[in-house]
Amino acid sequence: MAEGLSWTVYDADTLTQAEIYGQVLCDLGKMRPDIVGLSADLAKSTKIGKFQDHFPDRFFNVGIAEQNLFGVAAGLAKSGLLPFVSTMAAFTAMRAAEQVRTDICYQNLNVKIIATHGGASFGQAGTTHHCTEDIAIMRSFANMTVIVPADGIETANAVKQCVDWPGPVYIRIGRGFEPRYYDNEEYGFRIGKAVELAPGTDITLICCGITVFHAMEAAKILKENDGLSVRVLNMHTIKPLDTEAVLKAVTETRRVIVFEEHNRIGGLGSAVAEVIADNGKGCAFKRVGIPDCYCEVGYPEDLYTHYKLDADGILETVREVMNMDFEEDEDWEDEV
Amino acid sequence: MALTKEELTLLADKAYQARRDVVDITGWSGGAHIGGGLSVVDMLIILYYKYMKVDPKNPDWEDRDRLILSKGHAGVAYAPVLARKGYFDFELLKGFNKFKSPFGMHLDGNKVRGVDASTGSLGHGLPIAVGMALGARLQKKSWRTYCILGDGECNEGSVWEAAMAAAHFKLTNLVTFVDRNKLMIDGATEEIMNLEPFADKWKAFGFIVKEIDGHDFNALADAIEYAHAEKSGPVLILANTAKGKGVEFMENQVKWHYGGLDSELLESARNSLDKAYGRV
Amino acid sequence: MATERELMASRIFLRAVLPVIRVLLEDDPKIKKRFENVKADVQFVARDPAGDVGACLVFDNGSFTVVQGVVEKPDIAFVFGSVASMNAMFAGKPALPRIRGIFKVGLLIKVMTILLALKILMPNARPKDPAQKRLKVKMTFYMITTAMSQYNKGGDPEMAEWTGKQPERIYQITVDDEIAAYLRVKAGKTKAGRGTFTKRRPFIHLKFNGVEGAMPVVLNDVDMITAIREGYLSIEGSPEYGRDFGDFMMRIQNLIT
Repeated sequence: MAEGLSWTVYDADTLTQAEIYGQVLCDLGKMRPDIVGLSADLAKSTKIGKFQDHFPDRFFNVGIAEQNLFGVAAGLAKSGLLPFVSTMAAFTAMRAAEQVRTDICYQNLNVKIIATHGGASFGQAGTTHHCTEDIAIMRSFANMTVIVPADGIETANAVKQCVDWPGPVYIRIGRGFEPRYYDNEEYGFRIGKAVELAPGTDITLICCGITVFHAMEAAKILKENDGLSVRVLNMHTIKPLDTEAVLKAVTETRRVIVFEEHNRIGGLGSAVAEVIADNGKGCAFKRVGIPDCYCEVGYPEDLYTHYKLDADGILETVREVMNMDFEEDEDWEDEV
Repeated sequence: MALTKEELTLLADKAYQARRDVVDITGWSGGAHIGGGLSVVDMLIILYYKYMKVDPKNPDWEDRDRLILSKGHAGVAYAPVLARKGYFDFELLKGFNKFKSPFGMHLDGNKVRGVDASTGSLGHGLPIAVGMALGARLQKKSWRTYCILGDGECNEGSVWEAAMAAAHFKLTNLVTFVDRNKLMIDGATEEIMNLEPFADKWKAFGFIVKEIDGHDFNALADAIEYAHAEKSGPVLILANTAKGKGVEFMENQVKWHYGGLDSELLESARNSLDKAYGRV
Repeated sequence: MATERELMASRIFLRAVLPVIRVLLEDDPKIKKRFENVKADVQFVARDPAGDVGACLVFDNGSFTVVQGVVEKPDIAFVFGSVASMNAMFAGKPALPRIRGIFKVGLLIKVMTILLALKILMPNARPKDPAQKRLKVKMTFYMITTAMSQYNKGGDPEMAEWTGKQPERIYQITVDDEIAAYLRVKAGKTKAGRGTFTKRRPFIHLKFNGVEGAMPVVLNDVDMITAIREGYLSIEGSPEYGRDFGDFMMRIQNLIT
């Protein structure tokens, strides 16, 4: 049987599913000659490297200099081009925050940002490379659109649509090894419109990013085992938020739990809470995310388990809110 | 002053041990920045075993020398050096990268004894080092600050902001190294963002530059002692190194910036090191 | 006295390798016919001071089970002087058991053909016939998933540590619509299964491009990265856990060859 799998940073290219969006960008690049790409020594890690392979003259690697990266992107946009910039979320939202806000958002430039390794998806790298604050930071910048796609396919959709979406866009993804939820791109993705993945009447789970996949796993089990009717909303666009979908969930299911790979403070949970409070509604409400702390070191899958963002954690939270007991599958005999 | 034969043997032993540790950790952690870890080992060894005044039993000792590994991703090399020096039990490193370990790609200064700053985001180390050096001087302390940067890291503007300040404030109690292995993630440094004439840039910013072979202990010793003695301004030790030094299949390979090793490659790496250090 | 390693190897042979004889009986028409009307108990046992180790193949007119341990009156018994020599035989190396029931020549010949057929699992077996290739791939993946579960149940400390820390996760191997196997892991417990686990999506999913994609990997002709690059296989999920999974598979393979 094959060897244990030795790999280097270059092989990551072959292994990840994030290449889907890289390919989409190339296809767009063929149709739109004004599209250019930029990165900060992370072309290969962020998949924008595919664009670089196809259009080397339209790609700029500024080396490890993120403040410069976004400044240059702003300049390119001002000269009439459509820049796609990719680097890690931590450096986009924090290191270059001022450039993103003052150079790009304040001047309302058509710069599309693909921020990778958001949340705790770069688990082993530790806090310096995590970003559990980016949704909070980015949505506080006027003119910025904030999208957290559920998987590689949704990222491809977001990239396609942001070309014609006015102004700066921040698309936040993981490291590329996240589980794939969608089978294809034809499910009616629209920026600003939540996708109802499962209809339900007992409780609503509002999710973004990897929690979408896990919430659907949990919903399936809750339906089959516990007889619960769970609504799952893929709230991929945090700003502008689909307030209608939120209010519908509040009035129709009266229980809402928000799951996100982000600090509980300031992200999707807070955005949803703002809508509920603004409209004078009340309902059973819970925000689940990173509990205002810096994440532990660990593989991201283990971190999701720890912070209760995986299917098991979501199950636990829902059952707690619904006050229910459950039965486990205890058949551990090997099938022979 | 030339190193004695005993000192050289000791340093070589420690360096061999450190490189073996880097390879082993890369094995059990699922992946690490092995290339850049291996290139910086000799600098770490000579600092910890010859020049730095530290007390592993007392990591917060006020008058200790400080080290800032600005190229924080070399944590895979720094951690075992600290462990072997006595800061903590080596066995803790078995949890490298694993859940709740204080040891991940970038060492957490809040959790790991002996780490003076939590680095990892490039370009942060030199400014912090400058602050430390200034603080030492203000308090009339004689401890020194050592800062090791990566060469790709010098793309970051904040590095040059700090360099300007170091020269402006004539920080002679700061010794700066660049691990010049000439490679970064997307390719060679000179292809991605040209650094040359690199030494001239540091000189232009007000540093005295000593360019040496970063794997030659005698050259390192001379350069460090020069830096200690120099009174006119900060010294930059431009250490020319090989990324992946010691493991034949990794040396000077861009792709081994970061990677994982299965049981077979692990053995190959260990054999390569044994050969390089004449331990066959 | 058998060593820990020898006992683990025998555990794998008895509980993971022998059971895949069922695949031969169901999928290979010649073998199926040969055993259609066979009703017999075939015992394999190794003598050991700490207790005999063995399992019995129970053929019952077309149906088949493996009963662990030693049965009362087997029709044929292969008796080995040590666990190590029994392991050697299963690994395809020369070994000389005493054979009780050696005069039941007809049955003995049939059993020998099955043992020979099991050699298809060996790394150097390179079948050309498409049906044989299919058999090899199916048997290999059924065997390896069960072997991993048994490795854990057998108490290998590193495997136990690895499974111990995990919440419920499914490691799925899929070759095509018919050939699939999985390992279910949760807090130290493991279960190997055939087919596709449906109650949850897989945590790691090794998707082979059919039998043709699986063969080069099963034969160790290519390493995983090359296999992915060439399109023989795609792996979804965490590379670190995928690597661990692959590493344990490799270790078990080394244990039994």
